[in-house]
Amino acid sequence: MEQHPCPYGGFLACKNTFCEYGQRLSEILHLCSDIIESISKGDTSKKIDIKVQRYAVQRLIDSINKLAKEVDDLINLNHELAVGICEHFDVLRRLQEGDFSAEASEESKIEIVKMLGQLINKQKERFLDYISKIKEQQEQIFHFYEQQNAILSSVGVAIIVVEADMTIEFANSEFEDLTGYSKKEIEGKMKWTEFFSEEMLDKMIEYHNLRRISPSLAPRQYESKLKDRNGRIREVLMNVAMIPYTKKSVASIIDISERKKIQEQLIHSQKMESLGMLSGRVAHEFNNILTGILGFAGLLHTKIEEPILKNFVEKIIDAGEKARDLAKKLLVFSRKEEIGVIQEININKYLKNFSEFVKTIIGKDVELKLHLPEEEVFYRIDPLHLEVILMNLITNARDAMPEGGELIIGLKEISIDLEYHYTHPLVAPGDYVVLCIADTGAGMDEETKQRIFEPFFTTKPKGKGTGLGLSTVFGLVKQYNGHIHVYSEVGKGTTFKIYMPAKDKKIKPSISPETLKGAETILVVDDDEQTRDFISSFLKDYGYNVYEAKNGKEALEIFKKLNHEIALSLIDLVMPGISGIEVMRQIKTINPEAKIVIMSGHPIDLKDVISVEKTFAPEEILLKIRNILDEKE
Amino acid sequence: MADRVIDYSGLKCPYPILKLSAQYPQFKEGEIIEVIGDCPTFEKDIKAWCSKLGKTILNIEKQGNKIKVTIRI
Repeated sequence: MEQHPCPYGGFLACKNTFCEYGQRLSEILHLCSDIIESISKGDTSKKIDIKVQRYAVQRLIDSINKLAKEVDDLINLNHELAVGICEHFDVLRRLQEGDFSAEASEESKIEIVKMLGQLINKQKERFLDYISKIKEQQEQIFHFYEQQNAILSSVGVAIIVVEADMTIEFANSEFEDLTGYSKKEIEGKMKWTEFFSEEMLDKMIEYHNLRRISPSLAPRQYESKLKDRNGRIREVLMNVAMIPYTKKSVASIIDISERKKIQEQLIHSQKMESLGMLSGRVAHEFNNILTGILGFAGLLHTKIEEPILKNFVEKIIDAGEKARDLAKKLLVFSRKEEIGVIQEININKYLKNFSEFVKTIIGKDVELKLHLPEEEVFYRIDPLHLEVILMNLITNARDAMPEGGELIIGLKEISIDLEYHYTHPLVAPGDYVVLCIADTGAGMDEETKQRIFEPFFTTKPKGKGTGLGLSTVFGLVKQYNGHIHVYSEVGKGTTFKIYMPAKDKKIKPSISPETLKGAETILVVDDDEQTRDFISSFLKDYGYNVYEAKNGKEALEIFKKLNHEIALSLIDLVMPGISGIEVMRQIKTINPEAKIVIMSGHPIDLKDVISVEKTFAPEEILLKIRNILDEKE
Repeated sequence: MADRVIDYSGLKCPYPILKLSAQYPQFKEGEIIEVIGDCPTFEKDIKAWCSKLGKTILNIEKQGNKIKVTIRI
């Protein structure tokens, strides 16, 4: 064995139990090796608890203990870091999965782990804040969407939103009502092209595409034809606009079928009015010519002795009388025919009696049905007019049923309310007596229906009809402020409904034309040439001599000249220059006994002034003049 | 009987818990897993991990130098 350098003979020989040399160096080294190995495995729990005097050995032991402590601290730090990372990792994972109850620990001995925990929690708060704001905005958007939906649904107009591929994305309840399809069937499933008449499609598709290139390329508003579930076509007014930032467009669809119908009614009525005026004028002129022809033909007839020539003249007179008859019918159509004697007629009774006569003219193949109300209906009308109306309609009905059928004559009293008046503006609200003549004959198409009341329009073979039957009916009904409704379907039949106002205050009083005639001289003063001519002409027609003045100055000049010749002056109230009242005053200065009637467009009530409304009902003005001349007023 | 056994033997701490965290998203709620390790601080680390993440330790078993910890996720 090697000699130990110990001055006491080395640790092997040392008797001192406290001397390190008392222990074997190799044991200490083994112990040191074991401890180092433990530390290397991560076990820092063991320490070397021996003191040796040998400096180098003690230093080794101290170093190993110090290493153990350092490694222990490092391990603890490592573990603290790892556990912190694991915890934060788990919190982040839970947050990512949407579990916002996860909260990172803000407690750690390691500053960075602690800060990471705080950062995660702050980030979470901010995130939650964003989410809450987004939710709030989402709620606002949802409310806005609901409001928009409510507006679109309650706007009272059909609305659809369509995509670029023409699919309907949204349809409101009005669109459902208009088409008969439900939202479920429409939205996302049907294209708008399925709802419109084929004749309109090409143009509308072109608009659809152009609008998506540039909205200004397609019209914003246009008319179209909408087709509903049952194939019924409605006239509609489209209003289309692009929705900003999308390729979608919104269209409002207004049903204008009723409006169109009303427009057509008005146009038709205006056309009939014009025709009435024209035919009245023609008939009037024609009558004047006929008066000459018939008058001179009559004279010729009395002067001619030669039988052959006399026969020729008789033929002229016959033809002239036929022409006068024709002119009379035209005058009826133009409502210029005078109303005869108006009587209160029990229409029920009249129709019962009339039906007996009707049976003889309709033939055996046509069955007559009379629908009369239990209550008796009275109406004030010239019986001749009633007969003309019924005869014309009944013979037309008969002619429409050459193979036989049913002829229904109906009567009832109805009230027309304001609502009906709005859709049928030509029929005023009020009580009406309705006469109905219906047949089950050939019926007529729309084009024919539009023209039936025109004079000389007929569908009957040449020589069978004059084309004046229905125009006469039209003229007569209008004369009583009545209205005619025609319903007809080809192959099914035609129904005429005559609406006669039950309380018609405008019916002209029954005055015998003879009582209105006179031979006196009248001065007519009116600045309006047409009115002046009109008044002068009917005064002349009734036998009066007429002087005309176009203003007050002219009137006074004439009056000064013909003071005693003029029996009465008819003066317009409102005139440029000297007013009607002033003209009256000056005439009275010239002749205090002068008879004067002031005419006005509106009812007037002036002291010491006799006035008449310019109703242009000649009878009223004539009656007034007659009464004043006869000093009845 | 565990639904899943994960052996971290030979891995020095804190690798086992770092790996366990990384594998965690694959586990299902309520699943029973058995983790095995031989690092001297393995038990301490797993206990700390369970405590921080709110998992329940069902059993700890020592087999020689290996430790088997049963956890409910």
